[in-house]
Amino acid sequence: MRIFKNLGQALRGLRLNRGNTILMTLGVMIGIASLTVIVAIGDGIKIKVLSRIANMGFGPESFSVIAGAGRMFFARSKNTTSMSLEDAEDLLALPTVRLVVPRQRKSMQIINKKEFTNTRVYGVTPDWQLARGWKMIDGDFLSDSDLDRRKRVVVLGATPARKLFKNNDPMGKMVRLQNNYYQVIGLLEEKGLTESGYDPDDRALIPLTTSMSRLTHQTYLHSIKVVALDSSQVPETMEAVRQILRRNHNLSAFADDDFRFITPEGIMQWVTESEQALNRMLILISTVSLLVGGIVIMNILLVSIRERVREIGIRRCFGARRSDITFQFLFESVLVSLLGGVMGVGLGLAISFGLKRFDVLPTHVTVEPFILSFVFCTLIGLIFGIHPARKAAFLSPEESIRS
Amino acid sequence: MNLIEMNSICKSYRNIGFETKVLKDVTLHIKEGDYVSIVGPSGAGKSTLMAIMGCLAQPTSGDYILDGEEVGQLNDRKLSRVRNEKIGFVFQAFHLLPGVTALENVTLPLVYAKNPPANVKDRARELLAKVGLEHRLHHTPGQLSGGEQQRVTIARSLINDPRIILADEPTGNLDSKNGIETMKTFDNLVKEGKTIILITHDSEVAQHAGRIISILDGQIASDSQVSHEEQTRPH
Repeated sequence: MRIFKNLGQALRGLRLNRGNTILMTLGVMIGIASLTVIVAIGDGIKIKVLSRIANMGFGPESFSVIAGAGRMFFARSKNTTSMSLEDAEDLLALPTVRLVVPRQRKSMQIINKKEFTNTRVYGVTPDWQLARGWKMIDGDFLSDSDLDRRKRVVVLGATPARKLFKNNDPMGKMVRLQNNYYQVIGLLEEKGLTESGYDPDDRALIPLTTSMSRLTHQTYLHSIKVVALDSSQVPETMEAVRQILRRNHNLSAFADDDFRFITPEGIMQWVTESEQALNRMLILISTVSLLVGGIVIMNILLVSIRERVREIGIRRCFGARRSDITFQFLFESVLVSLLGGVMGVGLGLAISFGLKRFDVLPTHVTVEPFILSFVFCTLIGLIFGIHPARKAAFLSPEESIRS
Repeated sequence: MNLIEMNSICKSYRNIGFETKVLKDVTLHIKEGDYVSIVGPSGAGKSTLMAIMGCLAQPTSGDYILDGEEVGQLNDRKLSRVRNEKIGFVFQAFHLLPGVTALENVTLPLVYAKNPPANVKDRARELLAKVGLEHRLHHTPGQLSGGEQQRVTIARSLINDPRIILADEPTGNLDSKNGIETMKTFDNLVKEGKTIILITHDSEVAQHAGRIISILDGQIASDSQVSHEEQTRPH
């Protein structure tokens, strides 16, 4: 086929004009590399957040109510004191609610003699274990009597247990939180680090009442976890919860909620939105750099054609049609663009792995950038190659051999 | 039968509104197997005449019948095919593709041939052997001497077995020894039945031909047959 011969001539042209070929690939390479990194970062963040959600212990039938207005993890106001144990009791009375876990949370030092570490301390009720479905490897979880008597007992996650006791058995030992000693009565099963590096085992659980009177010295709650009877009842349950809390907190019809919901879907939606915003910006950047890459190809090709006027003339003398010359140079620009794309994907992958390896950003490599860059590079080659190729083809053969 | 039949060919170039008449009413008939020199001072229109003969340019007016086909107004596609199949070019400046081996330079016209033979490489080797370059097949133009380069271009002009060889100052860039060699090659090609048209301003070179056409100011000034004695006169 004639067109394959033109392809062959294009390959030869690129080989013989190595300098120009390399220059032409650079722009596209950078554009494709950034595109690859962008896609990898986007996917990486999504996976990180998804694994985080999975480790928050959300089933499809549960959601959290956090004290303080705002959205998701971002509170507009701190120290909202309006959420109380009475709220939690009222929520449990709802017909669609199976479990309610009122919580306080504080990050602090936990100490065993000379060993100490920072961990997240939660004041919870016995229902916490049911809501999370988290198994014990030793001892028992907090009981109702622990709660009633404000006992100073603690259930340790695997991380503080290991850090404080090394290879010794922590069961029955005393650990210190602030100025009080707590007896270890149970150990949670280890879940292990998530893909994103979040450690779900880094926690200690004490009775909510103990937390209120001895640790936080606050009578209000930080959050309430609600488990509905069925996932289909989550939306109506949320609405009912909102009504109860607004009434209990004496909010006027015009006031904003002084609490916020966190649901698996809510998190997903938030992630998707922020990811989309990020993606839009990054795609704009890589589009611009690809465009610049295309313009670089066009300009260098135009210069290259000026250098190769004689070659074009010779080809025309020996029977090359205008279409042969057009195809040859169009092939050159598409090939150079694809070569830039391959190099760009390579560079992008290297950067992506580097970012992940050195913990800068989470990245995840998929097949998408390969397909995207193949399509983009072909388009760029065609769009920015057509003008130089036509220009070469319409040179007068008579004049070009005289030059 | 006339292989080339040019009737009242005019060619003018328009440049910023000014019209320059390069060829004025040129009528020229060349028979198959003729050995023709076209001579004239520079600027007389030799190169333009050659460009039109070689189908690299088209006349502004007049008919050009090549091998029985009116080619004066053909489209690019058909004209390219005529160049490919019927004409072999030899240039003063050789015009080989740089960085490409002699063998591949010789096969270039077959890239654009409609029905290229299967044994392209063998044919190219044969032709390079014929011009005495069997030991230079894989050398690039940069590695060849001027004389060797010119012999590669002759091999290239023959690969499509064209009816006509158009040679533009073929000895212009060569020393006298290589020049004589090149002219011998043309003399032999005529014996094989090729039609050869030499464009030159060197009268000794022109004397190799059987017919000398002299161009002056865009017109044919003289058209004379050369006797056999003159053709074999030593240089």
